[in-house]
Amino acid sequence: MVKSFLFLPGHDVDMLFTIRFIGILFFVIAGFQVSLAQGKFIINGVVTDSATGETLIGASIKLTGKSTSGSVSNSYGFYSLSTDPGSYELSVSFVGYKTVKQPIDVNKDVRINFVLEEDNRLNEVVISAVKRNENVSSPQMGLQKVNVREINNIPVLLGERDVLKTLQLLPGIKSAGEGNSGFYVRGGSTDQNLILLDEAPVYNASHLLGFFSTFNSDAIKDLSVYKGGMPAQYGGRLASVLDIKMNDGNRKGFTAEGGIGLISSRLKVEGPIVKDKGSFMISARRTYLDAFLKLSSDSSINSNTLFFYDVNAKANYQIDDKNTLFLSGYFGRDKLGISDSFGFNWGNATVTMRWNHLYSNRLFSNTSLIYSNYNYVIQNLMEENNFEVNSAIKDFNIKQDFEYSISNSHNLKFGINAIHHTIDPGNLTSTAASSVNETDYENRNGLELAAYISDEWTVNEKMNVVYGLRLSSFSLLGPGNFKTYDADGNTINTTPYGSGRFVKNYFNPEPRISVSYQLTGSSSIKTAYTRNVQNIHLMSNSTSTSPTDLYIMNSNNVKPEIADQFAAGYFRNFNDDNYEFSAELYYKWMQNQIEYRSGTDLRGNGNVEADLLYGDGRAYGIELFIKKRFGKFNGWVGYTLSRTERNFDAISEGQWFYAKQDRTHDLSVVGIYKASARWTFSSVFVYNTGNAVTYPSGKYQINGRTAFYYSEKNGYRTPEYHRLDVSATLEGKPNKKFYSSWSFGIYNLYNRQNAFSIDFKDDPDDASKTQVVRTTLFGIIPSVTWNFKF
Amino acid sequence: MKLTHRLFIMAGILMLMFTGCEKVIDLELDNAKPLVVIDAGVSDQVENQIVRVSRTYSFTEPNKFNGVEGAKVVLTGAGSNPITYTEISPGVYRSTRFRGRPGINYTLNVTVDDVTYTASSIMPAKVVLDSLSFRDFSFFGETNTYVAANFIDPKGIQNQYRYIMKLKDKLEEDEVSDDRFNDGNNVSNVIFFELGDLVAGDVVEVEFQCIDRNVYTYFYSLNRNSGGGGPPVAPSNPPSNFNNGALGIFSAYTSNKRMAVIQ
Repeated sequence: MVKSFLFLPGHDVDMLFTIRFIGILFFVIAGFQVSLAQGKFIINGVVTDSATGETLIGASIKLTGKSTSGSVSNSYGFYSLSTDPGSYELSVSFVGYKTVKQPIDVNKDVRINFVLEEDNRLNEVVISAVKRNENVSSPQMGLQKVNVREINNIPVLLGERDVLKTLQLLPGIKSAGEGNSGFYVRGGSTDQNLILLDEAPVYNASHLLGFFSTFNSDAIKDLSVYKGGMPAQYGGRLASVLDIKMNDGNRKGFTAEGGIGLISSRLKVEGPIVKDKGSFMISARRTYLDAFLKLSSDSSINSNTLFFYDVNAKANYQIDDKNTLFLSGYFGRDKLGISDSFGFNWGNATVTMRWNHLYSNRLFSNTSLIYSNYNYVIQNLMEENNFEVNSAIKDFNIKQDFEYSISNSHNLKFGINAIHHTIDPGNLTSTAASSVNETDYENRNGLELAAYISDEWTVNEKMNVVYGLRLSSFSLLGPGNFKTYDADGNTINTTPYGSGRFVKNYFNPEPRISVSYQLTGSSSIKTAYTRNVQNIHLMSNSTSTSPTDLYIMNSNNVKPEIADQFAAGYFRNFNDDNYEFSAELYYKWMQNQIEYRSGTDLRGNGNVEADLLYGDGRAYGIELFIKKRFGKFNGWVGYTLSRTERNFDAISEGQWFYAKQDRTHDLSVVGIYKASARWTFSSVFVYNTGNAVTYPSGKYQINGRTAFYYSEKNGYRTPEYHRLDVSATLEGKPNKKFYSSWSFGIYNLYNRQNAFSIDFKDDPDDASKTQVVRTTLFGIIPSVTWNFKF
Repeated sequence: MKLTHRLFIMAGILMLMFTGCEKVIDLELDNAKPLVVIDAGVSDQVENQIVRVSRTYSFTEPNKFNGVEGAKVVLTGAGSNPITYTEISPGVYRSTRFRGRPGINYTLNVTVDDVTYTASSIMPAKVVLDSLSFRDFSFFGETNTYVAANFIDPKGIQNQYRYIMKLKDKLEEDEVSDDRFNDGNNVSNVIFFELGDLVAGDVVEVEFQCIDRNVYTYFYSLNRNSGGGGPPVAPSNPPSNFNNGALGIFSAYTSNKRMAVIQ
């Protein structure tokens, strides 16, 4: 690699720069180490759950005495505090758990592990802030956390719990369509969300063409979504970061739990590998829609296939106080098949290996090796047109992250990351008798490098600042023939490159800063600026995403997408933190956005970049959120007023037009009522303006057939969407050995006929007329699920 | 490849089994300023070549051919002299009898209200439609019959084909394909129109055209708007080869017809 730096002129300087930056980063850290104030001591340790031994993410640790300092446990339950010698009280709190307080005399570095007991009296709602007023005091904005254990109560389509659909009930996060697990964040498209499962990017987060997400909530411990103000350790996508962490597994004893629903069943088993030292968790789910097909005696029905499954598995082992190893994986697949003529399957596989290490009392390190693969296979088994297409995107990813407590007012995070991407757009194979020719489309290889550093600085009692910088580079690597196109899509030149040669490099600094200022004990204002860069792009020319959508990388033609986001907000809790209110304003400017020329065909298209158009985007809006957090009755109201637009020279004569995800109003109301120890009732109401869409503004005839004339891109609106869901959960009698519960739900209670699609066509009964046909996917749908645990 | 999209439909059907339903609704649509539409072709058959000139009209009006009278239609490329078309009915213009020849670049000029719309198309080399055959497909318990066009694709040349299918003299399907996946092979391309219950004497006719790349893109895009060939796309006007903002297409094509009579 060094050799190719020397031989390739020009932009490789950027790559060198990144590598130098990494060097400088370590130098700076070393400097901090030397200049540390003497006489301070460190308190650190791990916070875990008393019943399961699971580490607790985001527990609040507070030290009070002659000075006050605080910390929050990280993704591995680890915390670290630094303070002057003296007598203090140390308290650890986590929502849903009993607060632990303990007096402490600090005269040396000390390690204290906390074991918290669940507090069943509290009835915290689904979305929880880490501590009672964390939402006000933390400089982080644009962050929503979902407490996965408690989403059971929210009504869902067909009784399938789905974290991605619950997320869509929050302001600024919009559903990509009826029953769809895809989502839009602050004007971004679905491929602009970075979805991480135990740090591994998940490329296609949906099953069954979007109706279900790939995340089995049984296996998930913690879920955070960043709509803005992304911390510097995250990068690679424009609109949001969805950081999902899997359960580690019970370290105390073996347990099993599961559920039987209308369309799928789930089972999770967990237990210790070595008691209190290591544990494992395996969770699996499979749908049985195809079982209904099997009931048919007709062979053309019962020989069809349609199902998906997920397996989440994780194991961890704590070698000693300073070293812990984790291994986690996800495997999921959808399979569709029509008897012996067609087959179609797709899925993700991710594997994450991690090593937590404490270099010193102040320096926490995590090293991750990550593999991620998304692929699909299409088989046409009919004799003369027999073919099989295999397509994949594969990542090898290495990450080194450090957390460093400098003092009680500075907390440093820094690290490096390298990802090697391989995209195989398609390998077409066939039998000798087939009319289909074997073709192997050229793979594309890319290398993303990043280095980041950020400091959480407690300026004073009122003001907190998180500032940082992420440097990212992307290099398109050979082998292959690389084309350059002009603005009309004509090839200017084609250049062959050998394996490992650098074809094109891009380098981007991504500054991030968030500031919070506490006005009173219960209110604050915050502001943030974030730049995000995206180097991998999903090409989809259909109105919804499909498993065969094409991934492409930056190239000679495609440039990195860049988003600059400014946000400001007011945060306030009242009634002793029982109510939480926030108002956030955002403005986002996006560069190098991608659209297609009319008539672009993505299938087997080796020159797809010739059909792409590049332009800008802007999105702005206000998000209001009010939540009642405790008590028998709780819930929230989220409202978003927003605008999302795009501008392309070649579309709508260079005028700004609405992006398809533009929706003016978006409202969600969630209410949960715990009527008794056993019964819980809940309800969800959603309302939104229709999406921007292109409808005809006239018609004409071609070869005697009706064709439609479209005068303006996305100039119309789909009909407004609203829906009310209800559910009831009956908890079983408390029984130590075996526990079960029933969930009953009704989706779309008042049977609103929401438009899934609007089609224009000739009237089948009267060819002289055209008609508008609305397709509704889900009317009123009841569901029932039985859950158990032992 | 088109067949794979049937799988999407299948998954859709399964979801629809729950409650999905279709309803004809009223929708307020704008009435855009009318645009000129030109539907024109030159074939390799000795015949009167036809150019249809019309205007777009409101979505709510009954379907019609909204012909434009008094246009000037001139074709160059056929011999040394330009051919001027004569109007035989409102909006329908006819040439004298001649045949187009493969390899020739034809240019059509249509002048309406002092604006001239120009398009060019190169007639591709001819590929012969060898035969038609019937094919049965079972799809969730329902067996349907389709017609397939059988031909030999010439190797090493990029070919595009258009299939215009009539059943019992009624135009039912107009679709296109190319040889990206089967260059140089014996091809049997299924036309995805359900023939339904046929009785003896019913006639299925397929006109098989070889078309240039722009014409292929035009019809591919036109069909995608109406949901043909895969998951729905955000619709847009198909890319016309006429300049000055006219809609429609000018295609120089070779033509071959085959008929199948149900026994």
